Amino acid sequence: MDKLIFKVRNLKKAYNSKIVLDVDNLNFQAGKIYAIVGPNGSGKTTLLNILNLLEKPDEGKIFFYDQKITDKKNSDTLEIRRKMTLVNQDPFLFHSTVYDNIAYGLKIRSIPSKVQKSRIRSALNIVGLSGFKDRKANQLSGGEAQRVVIARALVIEPEVLFLDEPTASIDQKHIDVVERIIKIIKKEIETTVIFTTHDLSQAYRLADEVISLLDGKIIKKVPENLLRGEIIEEEDGLKWFKTIGNIKFAIVSEKFGLAYISIDPRDIILSYEQFQSSARNSFLGKITKIIEQNHLVKLEIDMGIPLVTIITKESFQDMNLNLGSKIYLTFKASAVKLY
Amino acid sequence: MDFIIEGIQKAFQLIFTLDSEIFNIVLLSLKVSLTAVILASLLGVYLGFLMAVKDYWGKRFSVALVNTLLALPTVVIGLIVYSLISRRGPLGVFELLYTPSAMILGQFILAVPIIIALTHSAVQGIDKRVKNTALTLGATEAQSAWMVIKEARYAVLAAIITGFGRVIAEVGAAMMLGGNIKGSTRVMTTAIALETTKGEFGFAIALGIILLFVAFSINILLHYFQSKRV
Repeated sequence: MDKLIFKVRNLKKAYNSKIVLDVDNLNFQAGKIYAIVGPNGSGKTTLLNILNLLEKPDEGKIFFYDQKITDKKNSDTLEIRRKMTLVNQDPFLFHSTVYDNIAYGLKIRSIPSKVQKSRIRSALNIVGLSGFKDRKANQLSGGEAQRVVIARALVIEPEVLFLDEPTASIDQKHIDVVERIIKIIKKEIETTVIFTTHDLSQAYRLADEVISLLDGKIIKKVPENLLRGEIIEEEDGLKWFKTIGNIKFAIVSEKFGLAYISIDPRDIILSYEQFQSSARNSFLGKITKIIEQNHLVKLEIDMGIPLVTIITKESFQDMNLNLGSKIYLTFKASAVKLY
Repeated sequence: MDFIIEGIQKAFQLIFTLDSEIFNIVLLSLKVSLTAVILASLLGVYLGFLMAVKDYWGKRFSVALVNTLLALPTVVIGLIVYSLISRRGPLGVFELLYTPSAMILGQFILAVPIIIALTHSAVQGIDKRVKNTALTLGATEAQSAWMVIKEARYAVLAAIITGFGRVIAEVGAAMMLGGNIKGSTRVMTTAIALETTKGEFGFAIALGIILLFVAFSINILLHYFQSKRV
């Protein structure tokens, strides 16, 4: 049986009496790659910060291997803290050179400078920035900075590497690089990697296991088309769900206020013309991605926000759909599932 | 008008011949003010840092207090320290009055609030992620605090230089506590005050030029460090 590097039991954390994390039971095996997915505000970052001992939970226990780490004093956790490190979503580099930045974790561990040198060289190699050691940190692009931050974390050879939204704020070219780095870590280094993302396909591409969080709780299956927004009532008495991008869906609900919704991709009907029907939701969008899966085709459609639909291969061929095709999406108010 | 021109001529003569009396006065000024500022930095940077990162009861009051002390007149410092170290004062047994140590003490009190206040604002301006980044890379609390100061290094140096500029140019405390004794506690500012009233313009102008030169160098240095702030 594989060793459990983290055991989380009955963990609770609240900010200003609003519960942001409520996890009953969660295990992490050593050496595996985990993705934590969920929309903004679902508690992903808080979970990472608590596991990394940057924040304390209000209730519950966490074990690192078999050591309980939740009720230790800060000064007693140094040894454990030094076995893990976290890379923030918004990377911060000290105002010095790339080399000095990467060397920091080694210096404070009093690692001999000869060893420092060779470890820094190989870390820069892994992130593909070999010639960058003398660059000033403030002269790097966002993507380069993100890679230096990952090198700075790798160089201390942590047992656990936390990456908080490693690809959220960088361009596609660097996203590919960061994904490649995670794959290299998986193949060549025995580090447990726990990263957060809101890109479900990225999570499945990279991780051995995907954990989904919604409103601080772990949910079994990640629904597709998960959106966050607000339920409002118009003057005519009808209920609408307004997304962050200000798109309104007709819904059936008794509730008000902030909520999550999901729309089953199979419940969305595609058509070239807008047609008369009892379905109250109809939007025009553009196809941005086509993924064929056996007898089905998964389409990503941009209608101000991205939505995923699934149709059969036959329909896909009959309709002669292509990348960039403009198409209407239609679904019933009752197809919108509320959380 | 002639006496001014003559004074300036005499001044340059004194400076370029490295007049020993002037040389000693300048040396003592630098010694007293540098000692005062180094000691004030040790306390001021530490307290300024704590004020910026710790939450404690009375924090707003202490910030207001330090800012008030920035306007402390040097003669008031002179008065307070004088009453403490004069023979009848509580620290009279140490016989500090009219010694360089007394001047250092006065200038120390003058510099500390400046260094606290400027360090406080320097550290407050540092990105909150510095500390967390250091911690997550395995730093102890003390190592992460040192990293925050390191990130604020140019602004902290500017704070120390500003403190030095203030004390090297002050005259009130140096006069009251040092007594302007020739060869012992006579510094640039007190010498200028005395020589001017004596009519020794050349001597006073020479010291004035040197003092201006010191102030100018300090400002160049200050400008350099401030431009380095990111």
